[in-house]
Amino acid sequence: MSEQAIVGTNAPRVDVRDKATGQAQYAGDIQLPGMLYGKVVRCWEHAHARVKRLDLSAAAASPGVVRVIGPKDVTPKRYNSSVLDLMVSESMHEMLGDIDDQPIFTDHVKFQGDAICGIIARSEEAAERAAAKVVVEYEPLPVYLTAEASRAPGAVQFTPEKPGNLAFQLPEAMFPNHALGGGDVEAAMREADVVVEDAFYVPKQKQCQMEPHAYVAKVDSGGRLTCWTSSQMPKLVQRKLSKLFDLPMNLVKIVPTVIGGGFGTRLGMISEPQACAMALAVPGHPVKLQTLREEDWVISPSRHPGKYWMKIGFKRDGSPLACDARFENYKGGYYLDASGTAFTAGAWLGGMYRFPALRYRGESYFTNQGLTGAYRGYGNPQTNFVLEQLIDRACAELGADPVEWRKKWHKGVGDDGWCPGVTYPSCALDECLDRGAAAIGWTEKRRKYAKQEGTIRRGVGVAVMNHTSGAMPMLLEHTACTVKLNEDATAEILFACSDMGQGSHTALKQIAAETLGFPFEHVQLSGGTSDVAGFDIGAHASRTIYVGGAAVKKACEEVKRQLFERASLQLGVPAEELDVCNKRIFVRADPARGIEAEAITRAGVYHFVDPMTGEPGGVPGQIQGYVSFFPPHNSPPFGASFAEVEIDTETGEVRVLELVNAHDIGRAINPAAVEGQLEGGIQQGLGFVLSEEIYYDANGRVQNNSFTDYKMFGPEDMPKITTILVEDPDPIGPFGAKSVGESGLVSPVGAVANAIFHAIGIQFTEAPITPEKVLKGILEKGVRDYGTLRRS
Amino acid sequence: MKNRDITLHINGEEYRLNVAVNRTLLDVLRDELGMTETKYGCGTGECGACTVLVEDKAINSCLTLAATMDGKRITTAAGRADFGRLDHIQQAFVDEAAIQCGYCTPGMVMKTASLLAKNPDPSEAEIRHALEGNICRCTGYEKIVKAVKKAAQTMPGRAAVAERCKEAVQ
Repeated sequence: MSEQAIVGTNAPRVDVRDKATGQAQYAGDIQLPGMLYGKVVRCWEHAHARVKRLDLSAAAASPGVVRVIGPKDVTPKRYNSSVLDLMVSESMHEMLGDIDDQPIFTDHVKFQGDAICGIIARSEEAAERAAAKVVVEYEPLPVYLTAEASRAPGAVQFTPEKPGNLAFQLPEAMFPNHALGGGDVEAAMREADVVVEDAFYVPKQKQCQMEPHAYVAKVDSGGRLTCWTSSQMPKLVQRKLSKLFDLPMNLVKIVPTVIGGGFGTRLGMISEPQACAMALAVPGHPVKLQTLREEDWVISPSRHPGKYWMKIGFKRDGSPLACDARFENYKGGYYLDASGTAFTAGAWLGGMYRFPALRYRGESYFTNQGLTGAYRGYGNPQTNFVLEQLIDRACAELGADPVEWRKKWHKGVGDDGWCPGVTYPSCALDECLDRGAAAIGWTEKRRKYAKQEGTIRRGVGVAVMNHTSGAMPMLLEHTACTVKLNEDATAEILFACSDMGQGSHTALKQIAAETLGFPFEHVQLSGGTSDVAGFDIGAHASRTIYVGGAAVKKACEEVKRQLFERASLQLGVPAEELDVCNKRIFVRADPARGIEAEAITRAGVYHFVDPMTGEPGGVPGQIQGYVSFFPPHNSPPFGASFAEVEIDTETGEVRVLELVNAHDIGRAINPAAVEGQLEGGIQQGLGFVLSEEIYYDANGRVQNNSFTDYKMFGPEDMPKITTILVEDPDPIGPFGAKSVGESGLVSPVGAVANAIFHAIGIQFTEAPITPEKVLKGILEKGVRDYGTLRRS
Repeated sequence: MKNRDITLHINGEEYRLNVAVNRTLLDVLRDELGMTETKYGCGTGECGACTVLVEDKAINSCLTLAATMDGKRITTAAGRADFGRLDHIQQAFVDEAAIQCGYCTPGMVMKTASLLAKNPDPSEAEIRHALEGNICRCTGYEKIVKAVKKAAQTMPGRAAVAERCKEAVQ
């Protein structure tokens, strides 16, 4: 077999022709006969209130309305729209204290946009007109927008299950003193010659996926509930809905639709419970629920904002001694991912450098902000903003070069990764740093920009990161995959993990074709509906290629084994002496001797016995391979980012001139797709550090739920981008691949902040670093080596 | 609500419609005609996902009342493909790996078409400026800009268009 002829190429993406012409069907594009339209009536006036009176009568009498349903018309059971609770064992679940605290419709509004009731009507317009006729009287409650406010004595309790509004802290049973890490931090810190510490604020960033959330749900005459959704985790949503509505799983069918961007926002459920509750109220009729953009903004979970303290001690020679950190994040009104990010922010911290002593504490507090949950990076950009700036501050004090210091002290092969006991099997971070530094002209520009004059200043900065390839061992990692050979020796693969647009299904198809020895065009891969596809955790934790690819590979190897077994009977040669290329199975030592795979598959399906001789024509049976796969390990990726910025010290504007993302991805199955992840990640990372933040007024109402008022980097704002794929094949990942989905956005955060520090000698502790903050910093602290603007 | 009789020429076909005067072109395309290739992204003209061509000009169909489009020639992303055969812009987006989730793509394709109709040889700065009203959250715009460049290079009858534009400027 020609080794890796398809893996490593930019094979054509399987879904893009339909997307180019607009034929790809997203949930909002679905139109079914007899379809009704749902509208969730939300509380827009208050972020914290009790519903004193709810009168649905005028809405119910509104023209075109079919049903109006309130809290009393739906199950009183509560749910947790996240899925972390399904990914841990029962004992771990108990220990973490994950709770179900979300009602379908509420009488206690905990954030702006909380759901009050639902309208089902014959048109969207009729539903909207009826929604305006719902009468709700509220009793406003005090609004808590920070942890300090919500944990104050006497504050209204969000749920009796979490006293003091402390949604989560690292559990004592697993983390003594509620802290992750090890070693004696206090004692180690006393030995330090240089200590850097500060309090930071990390922002609330919105995923801004381009497709607003939409659903269709329907109950058929057999009582089966079908939900069309673009969730990243169709199989877990099936289980969640089954539990919520007390239906056995065979009566809950999920039809995954094309995903118009995920970035974590579709990790679990958003409005599936409301859409399905409406469908259950009008059996036989499909109900479509299209979320408006401004609505999507307030109801879908965002990145966890909050306060982040960190202190790091070093010896004079630069060796790190201890790191002490605490991340106090602001949840929204409900629990969902409270345990996740509070933990992982510390996990990425622990996975980065060789700190002999580490103590990280993570806490989540309820607030009346909009919900917080999964967002690409999952705690990592928050840690990057804090850790990487403090490392550069220390380097400045130690007189160390930031690249050299990182090369010396980052963790590598054999060290524990983000989870103790799971060691890094591969690490090419040094190469990332070297190649990234060369690409940006590090040495020359660091020297050149050290002495500048004038109002325009430039700087270069670096930051590094580690992430994960799947969530093993902390969370369940399980993917099933079925590979079936048709009689013409084409392959059809069933694999439930969604492609969110990153190209994962294309890369998986490459892995399959490579493994089978079949042409790429003769392999089909589909996600399938929940009733036909096997189990899969879902597209999260950058796992689809590392875990899913390994599952597809294993299932294809099983198919190949069966093919070789049958070929071996035909050729009279042991199976282990066979190979396959372009669907022809041949003897490795004598390639002229062989058999077409199609001869085997056709004989297996169209199996006849010769009526004259009674001889069977080949081996009977259709060939299928199936795996229920659990990965043996986790091989995290690493990355280094370099940024060059230009700052106008008179306006505070920061212009990013160049961003280099050099990533150790193990092996690029489809290099163009990998580049796409790193390039897109840069756009989101730049937003985190420079421009993106959801703002609330004092009453907890969001002030910028639109693309005009929430500033993302547009095509003209983007810098020159250089992506460097460092390929050092991982010994465990499929064809050496590690993950890339989330990692691209993480280290641009620290690199830009450090480039700003290099340019003007000021570190900013609050992200995003907006022009207002830069100007304020310059006025308060002055610009390094720059006389006229110094603090007067 | 008042209604009005209008005729739209969409992708070369004539449609005689009776539309409520408050319906946007996006509503009519998607809900009444089932042409879902044009996407709803924000409804307020901020994201460009709903971009279509009216004559040769790109507009946000979510901000355009259908009743004002009487007699107009409208092109959507599906109208640029001939039974699965992509046009040069769509092909360039495919070739340059400029499509990820794909939700912004129909709008990007239409915006590119209107740019190249006016300016067949745009500089990178001109491309980036033209795309400012179309948001993509997946790609960082890097490969989209490359795709637009490639579309310009592969535009059928490129030389003739360039000549016409030059004359128009003079």
